[in-house]
Amino acid sequence: MKATSRSLAAAIAVLTAATLASGCSSSGSGAADSAGSAGGVVKLDFWGWAPGYDQSVALFNRTHPNIQVTFDKTASGSKGGYTKMLTAAKAGNAPCLAQVGYETLPSFAAAGALEDVTKYAAPGKSQFADWTWQQVTIGGQTYGIPVDTAPMALMYRKDLFTKYGITTPPATWDEYAADAAKVHAADPSVYLGDFGNDAYNYAGLAWQAGAGWFGTAGDQWQVSVDSAANQKVAGYWQGLLDKKLLKTDPSYDPSLYSDLANGTVLSDVNAVWDAPIIASSVKAGAGQWAVAPMPVWDAADPVYGNDGGSATAVLKGCGHAKEATEFATWMSTDADSVSNLIKVTGIYPAATAGLSNPALSAPDPFYGGQTIYDVFKGESAHITTNWQWGPTMTQTATDLGDGLGQAGTDGTTLPNMLSTVQSKTVAGMKQQGLTVAGG
Amino acid sequence: MTTALRERAAGRTVPAGTRGTGRRRRGRPVALFLAPFLVPFAALYLAPIGYTVYQSLFRMHRSGLGLTAPTQVFAGLSNYATALGDADFRGSLLRVLLIGLVQVPLMLLIALGLALLLDARSTLFKRFFRLAFFLPYALPGVVGAIMWSYLVAPGLSPITAAAHHLGLHLDLTSNAMLAPTIGNMLTWGWTGYNMLIIYSALQAIPAELSEAATMDGCSAFGIAWRIKVPLVRPALVLTTVFSIIGTAQLYNEPAILHNVAPNLSSSYTPIYAAYDAVNANNFNAAAAESVILALLAFVLSFGFLKLVQRRGGAL
Repeated sequence: MKATSRSLAAAIAVLTAATLASGCSSSGSGAADSAGSAGGVVKLDFWGWAPGYDQSVALFNRTHPNIQVTFDKTASGSKGGYTKMLTAAKAGNAPCLAQVGYETLPSFAAAGALEDVTKYAAPGKSQFADWTWQQVTIGGQTYGIPVDTAPMALMYRKDLFTKYGITTPPATWDEYAADAAKVHAADPSVYLGDFGNDAYNYAGLAWQAGAGWFGTAGDQWQVSVDSAANQKVAGYWQGLLDKKLLKTDPSYDPSLYSDLANGTVLSDVNAVWDAPIIASSVKAGAGQWAVAPMPVWDAADPVYGNDGGSATAVLKGCGHAKEATEFATWMSTDADSVSNLIKVTGIYPAATAGLSNPALSAPDPFYGGQTIYDVFKGESAHITTNWQWGPTMTQTATDLGDGLGQAGTDGTTLPNMLSTVQSKTVAGMKQQGLTVAGG
Repeated sequence: MTTALRERAAGRTVPAGTRGTGRRRRGRPVALFLAPFLVPFAALYLAPIGYTVYQSLFRMHRSGLGLTAPTQVFAGLSNYATALGDADFRGSLLRVLLIGLVQVPLMLLIALGLALLLDARSTLFKRFFRLAFFLPYALPGVVGAIMWSYLVAPGLSPITAAAHHLGLHLDLTSNAMLAPTIGNMLTWGWTGYNMLIIYSALQAIPAELSEAATMDGCSAFGIAWRIKVPLVRPALVLTTVFSIIGTAQLYNEPAILHNVAPNLSSSYTPIYAAYDAVNANNFNAAAAESVILALLAFVLSFGFLKLVQRRGGAL
C-alpha cells in the first residue's frame, strides 16, 4: 500500500534484471567492446558521476583516435552508483572503467569486480606519491589509477578567532582542545568546531594518528578498528564531547552550514574538497575565512590525514584492460586533463606533477585572497603512508556513522563504539567468506 | 440463498464425464484470457520472490583476501540464523511492530472520525474538507518525509522553537522521540487515504437506515456508532490490513529522517537493514532479511484477517 512498497518492487525488479542479464553475459564485457575492436577502434565504457569527467574524456577521444571512451553518468557512489557497478560486475556486463573511491576499492576487489592491471599500470607508478599508489594496490596487485587525493585542513573564521582571542590557529590537538574551551567559555552558545557523523571524516582523523583500521598479512585480513592508537583518537574526541565543547550537527547538514554562517561554529577540520563546499554554502562571512594545516599530534613531527580521493578502476571482464589503463593513466596525468579536472570537478590531483598546476595557485576571494592549495600541497608530502581500507567498508562506514551519530546519547561513548564496529566488521567479513586474522 | 446462486451451486455437481470434456473445451480460451495477467504476474511477481528465497539459501565463498571472484555455495538456513541472531535486526522487527501497534489504530480512529464527520449531513464545505484531508497523500511519501524532517530537525524546527517559547524543552529527534516522530509522519501522510476508503463505504449505506433511526429517536452520534460503524467494518478491516503491510515496510520516513537525526541507526527498520546489506554487497543476507520481513507482514495481516473473521462469525 505505502509508497515504500514501490521501492521494494523496484529493488526486486533490479535484481531480476541483473539475473536476466547474467544469463546472456557470456559475450564478455558488453556489446560496445566487442563491436568496437572489430573496426580497429577500441571502445571503452566509463561509469562515474563527477562533473567534468566527460570533458576530460572528450579531450582524450580527440587525441586518441584508436581508443574511444564513452562516459556514462551514474548516481554518486554512495547514492547507488557503487551498487549499480557491483551489480553490473556480478551480472558480467560491467563497463571497463569506473570511478571508485579509495575507501570502496577493496570492497570491489573482494566482490571480485576488479581487473588486476599491475603490469599495465606499473610504468605510471613513479608519477604518483607512494601513499596514493598504496590506495589502488591490495595485496601487491594494482587495480586502477589514482585520480585525486584529499588532504585535510582546518578551515576557520579568521575574524571570529581574533574576537575570541585566538591569535594563531591551533597547530596541535592540545591547542585545539584549549581553544575549544576558551571559545565556549567566552560564549556558551559558540563552539570552535563541529563533531559530525561522517565515518570517512573520522577515518581521516584516525589516519592522521597512524591508527590504521585494516591491513593484510599473507592471505589474511587484519582489523584493528579498536587498537590502542584508535582508542587514543576516540578518547580525545570523547573528552571534548563530554565537556560539551563541540557542536554535534550532522556532517554536511543544513544545520551545520547555518551554524557556520551565523558564527555559532567557528571552524571545520575537513578535506580539500570541502573548501569550495563551505564557500558555496556559507555566503555570509566571505573573505573572513582562511585555511590552516589541520592540528597535529606532535608539533615536532607533523603528519596529516586524508579524507577521500578516488581512482579510475578497471572492472572485471574488461576485454581491453591495457587500453583502459592507458586512458586512466592519461586522465590522471595529462596536464590539460588535470587542469580541467581541477577547474570543473574540483579535484586535488593525485599525480605529483599536478600539484604544481597553475589552476591551484589562484587566490581564493572567499578565503580572503589566500592561495589555499599551498596549505594542502605542504601537507600532501606528510600524509601518513600506510593507511589501508578494508573489504567491507560500506558496512564498517555505516556502523561507524551510526556510532558517531549516537555518541553522547544514552551513554554511548566513542571508545565503546569502536569495539562494536570492530566486532561487527570482523563478523561481516567472515560472513562474506573472507579470512580474518585473530578475529 | 437466491435462485441464481442455487443454480450455480448445482452446476458444481455435474457428472464427472461431462465436467472433464467441458474443461478441456474451455481450457484454451481461458488460458488465452488469463495469459495477459499470468505472464507478467509470474515474471514480475513470482519470479523475483522465488529468486529472493533462492538467494537467501546461499552465501558467497571466498578464499583468503578474497581478491578472486567469489563462488556461491549452499548455506541452508544459515543466513536466516545470522539475521535472527543479529540483535539489531531483531530490534528493527520489534520496532516496526511497536510503531504499528500504536500508530495503526490511532490513524484509523482519526480516519474513521474524519470520515464520519464528512458523512454527517450537517457538515459544511464537504468537498473542501475531503480534498484537504486527502491532500497529504497526494504528496509523494519522500517529499512528505523531507518536509517533516525539516520541521523536526534540531536547530531548524519551528515546533521546537515554539515549544521553547512556552518553556518546554522538546527535541523531536532524540532517541525517545524518534518513534513518535515517525508515527506522526505516517499518520499525516496516510490518514486521508484511509479516510477516503472508509468514507466511500459510508456513502454506500442506504440513507433509509439513518432516516429510520432518526425517526426512532436515535441521536447523530448513536447513528454513527450503532449503524454506520458496524456497516463500514469491511472497510476498516481492509484499511487495517493495508496499514499493517505498509508499516512492516517502513523505510522512507526513517531513511529521510536519518539525514537530520544521525542517532537514528541504519538498521532502524527491517527494510532499512536489508537495503544496507545490499549496499554492503551482501545480497544473500539482504534476501534472507527480506524473506523474514515478508513472512512477518504475511503472518500479521493474515492473522488479523483470521481474527476478525472469527469474531465476525460470533457477532
